[in-house]
Amino acid sequence: MGYAIKTEKLIKSYKDKTAVDGLSLTVNEGELIALLGVNGAGKTTTVKMLTCLTKPTEGKAEIMGCDVIKDSEKVKRLVGVSPQDTSVAENLTVKENLEFMADIYLPKDKTASAVEKTIKAFNLDEFKDKKARLLSGGYKRKLSIAMAIIGEPKVLFLDEPTLGLDVLARRQLWREIEELKKNITIVLTTHYMEEAQALADRIVIMNEGKVMAIGTLGQLENMTGKKGLEDVFVSIAEKME
Amino acid sequence: MKRTMAYAKRNLIEVYRDPLSWIFCIAFPIVMLIIMSVVNSSIPKEAGNTMFRIDNLSGGIVVFGQMFIMLFTAIAVAKDRSSTFLTRLYSSPMKSFDFVWGYILPMLLTAVIQAFVSLCAAFVISLISDYSLNIAGLLLTVILSLPSALMFSAIGLIFGTLCNEKAAPGICSVLISLGSMIGGIWFDVEAAGGFMYNLRKCLPFLYATRLARSVIDMNFGVKEFVLPLIVVVAAATVLTLIASIVFNSRMRADQM
Ligand SMILES: Nc1ncnc2c1ncn2[C@@H]1O[C@H](COP(=O)(O)OP(=O)(O)OP(=O)(O)O)[C@@H](O)[C@H]1O
Ligand SMILES: [Mg+2]
Repeated sequence: MGYAIKTEKLIKSYKDKTAVDGLSLTVNEGELIALLGVNGAGKTTTVKMLTCLTKPTEGKAEIMGCDVIKDSEKVKRLVGVSPQDTSVAENLTVKENLEFMADIYLPKDKTASAVEKTIKAFNLDEFKDKKARLLSGGYKRKLSIAMAIIGEPKVLFLDEPTLGLDVLARRQLWREIEELKKNITIVLTTHYMEEAQALADRIVIMNEGKVMAIGTLGQLENMTGKKGLEDVFVSIAEKME
Repeated sequence: MKRTMAYAKRNLIEVYRDPLSWIFCIAFPIVMLIIMSVVNSSIPKEAGNTMFRIDNLSGGIVVFGQMFIMLFTAIAVAKDRSSTFLTRLYSSPMKSFDFVWGYILPMLLTAVIQAFVSLCAAFVISLISDYSLNIAGLLLTVILSLPSALMFSAIGLIFGTLCNEKAAPGICSVLISLGSMIGGIWFDVEAAGGFMYNLRKCLPFLYATRLARSVIDMNFGVKEFVLPLIVVVAAATVLTLIASIVFNSRMRADQM
């Protein structure tokens, strides 16, 4: 099986800041990896480069073998992204938002069923005719994620998907992510250790744009001699200081 | 094309769910038409002033309305650019063509509805007043005002792309006032000379109103119809092209 994501010495530098500094990473098809790191570690920038939202300054990145710069057209068909900032069309209803995304990604005969299926999966039925701007923050986020999934991406990027969700909604979203994980590759960023621990096959810990550690939870525990992701993270984070 | 239509549909919904677009794009031109007709009725016949007569007004009102279409296009684009929704779409298979026409198409539709409604109002006014309008001319105007509608949406798209949400409406308002003056929307100041006259001649606004007036009069002469049509179509084409280039380069810059 090929790699779903492969990056080589990926760098993104802004005028006064190197946001991502030589990221080399491979993610297998069907894997779920979690990007962990303190604020400003470069998680979002990594996601943006891999979804053609921002151009890498140097290095190489491929999604399912397609280069994010040279084959960006192909990459855009393969990826779905739920940005860190909730982004929906505010004046469209939940259903219209989903229909819109479905229209962009799917053949005509598939849109109606995809919309219905997604509304069910995300328990949005009650709100389907509500305008997005009238939704609560948590539901808006759910919609934003649903919009990333409806296009049937091969590789899905979720930037802090459960930020602002209540405990129940978070658990429900976890179940949905578990379900999706069977078919597609997922990269998620999070500040919640339980979340990474519950969902991720492998965990990437980033700091200052660099990968500090990468591996399964067990591997990271062995490496640091700590138990549980939180202690592992703290031990790695403290070492960096 | 599927994606262009999907985006056009989204923008159409945004426009028609916004009460302001009904007020400014549909109601306001009619209100102006009524006000100006009232002004006209208070001008004594002996004055021989046909400036505000309904046949002159109806042509002007079509172009006047389209300037609000320009304003709404600019606002829509600037607003989207400041939201994360548009950025998210940059990672979708949508191309800049889809965005550009996705903004323009619903505005063209709005312009057609607007022209139709305004000219219906003009027709009613003409029935009340003593000057009658040609129905064929009015209907033809609805169609032949499309090039100038395209021109104004393109201008709106350009300013919406270049300016932020705060600046875009301001600049468009200036353009609306300026356009009303030099476009000869309310009064046909073709006789005036000097700098303003030359400026008018160089900008396409005047030709848009002249075109609308001629079609309403069913006057298809070279100077009255053919020349303005050529100018407006050319301006619409060039401005649409510029809008595409500007939007495309902005989209690229946003991805840096
Ligand atoms: N457009 C930009 N221009 C300049 N600097 C930027 C830009 N985008 C991000 N940065 C900088 O790059 C660094 C990494 O930012 P990034 O958003 O990737 O962090 P993050 O890991 O997602 O953080 P958080 O957990 O807070 O979301 C930060 O220092 C940020 O200030
Ligand atoms: Mg982030």
